[in-house]
Amino acid sequence: MEEEIERFLCAWMHMKLHFPSFVLAMLLFTSTVSCTPDLASPQSQPISLASFTENYVDVSIYLESDSRGNYSLSATFTPPDGYHLYSKDIPLDGVDGLGRPTLLELTNESHIKVKGELTESLKAQEPNFEPKELLVYPPGAVTLSLPLELPSGNNWVNDEIKITYMACSASQCKPPVVGKIILIRVPGTGVFNRPQ
Amino acid sequence: MNKKIMLVLITIVLLSCNFLFPIDKAPAQAPDVAEPTQSSSQPNENSTSALPGFTLVRLHPEDGDLQAMLANEAQKADALGQIPVVEFDATWCPPCIAIDAALESRNELMLKAYAGIYLIKLDVDEWGWDNGGFQDFRFDAIPVYFKINAQGHQTGEVIDGGAWNEDIPENIAPVMDEFFHGTS
Repeated sequence: MEEEIERFLCAWMHMKLHFPSFVLAMLLFTSTVSCTPDLASPQSQPISLASFTENYVDVSIYLESDSRGNYSLSATFTPPDGYHLYSKDIPLDGVDGLGRPTLLELTNESHIKVKGELTESLKAQEPNFEPKELLVYPPGAVTLSLPLELPSGNNWVNDEIKITYMACSASQCKPPVVGKIILIRVPGTGVFNRPQ
Repeated sequence: MNKKIMLVLITIVLLSCNFLFPIDKAPAQAPDVAEPTQSSSQPNENSTSALPGFTLVRLHPEDGDLQAMLANEAQKADALGQIPVVEFDATWCPPCIAIDAALESRNELMLKAYAGIYLIKLDVDEWGWDNGGFQDFRFDAIPVYFKINAQGHQTGEVIDGGAWNEDIPENIAPVMDEFFHGTS
């Protein structure tokens, strides 16, 4: 691309064209090249895959795509009022045994492939109690997203994922949910924009 | 001269485009993915604590029938002139551990509140928790405390962590003192 621009500039310079014309042409050119969004894969509405409530936390699992055609599996965890969830990055068995991470994972049986890292909608914070390594999300809902590669084709395939979480307030806890298997049906790339 | 001006203009246009149409940012942090296991319990040994002013006992399922054990512990409490109270807790519960730590550090407020109490601890990972409680003990969060009678049955007097806010002795002690002794 840089070489093309350089050749383009040289050509204009060589032709000794009028300066304002050149600037106008460059504005049009750069706007066209740099500012046009990728319209190859239009953004779609999220597809709900599953939802459940266990141990007082509502979990909603869905599939979504961005404007670039990248797919991600997301889970929104909503604890009761005044309760918080723990960071996805604490150990599975907690910090000194305390707490449990919030996780959205594929299982060994899963057909879909992970393309990136698990991300969180909120940044986890140090708690105001010990151990400080027991990072918690602010009270309320948090969403985790996992970039993935959908199976090709026009069919829906059976799949499964794993969910882990635990909700506590400043003075009490609900029981943890660890490695709960959720069965889902995942669309192939061909049907993502035509949900059933 | 013109070349320099043109290069500056092009740079400005490119920068302004990126400002108006920002590129999506990539995810920042790596996940900590591991195979899940069931939460483990490492309850204290089944013994009576020597903390002054109150008694602390932890019961385990392998020791026998809960109802019989509770009745037995209630009789021991009566013999000591103490009030039998059942507490459900767990090793993964930070508020439960915070209360234990306050007692073990012999916090004066906590020791005063717990004076004369015969505390019978039950780990929910050992005894089970069907999302609504255990046997005739109904609860939806821990720690939770039930007063029991001489037969080991709950009296209906119950309190849980929702009765106070942040888990510090200044918050916990007055509430528990009121629950245990009816005074504040």
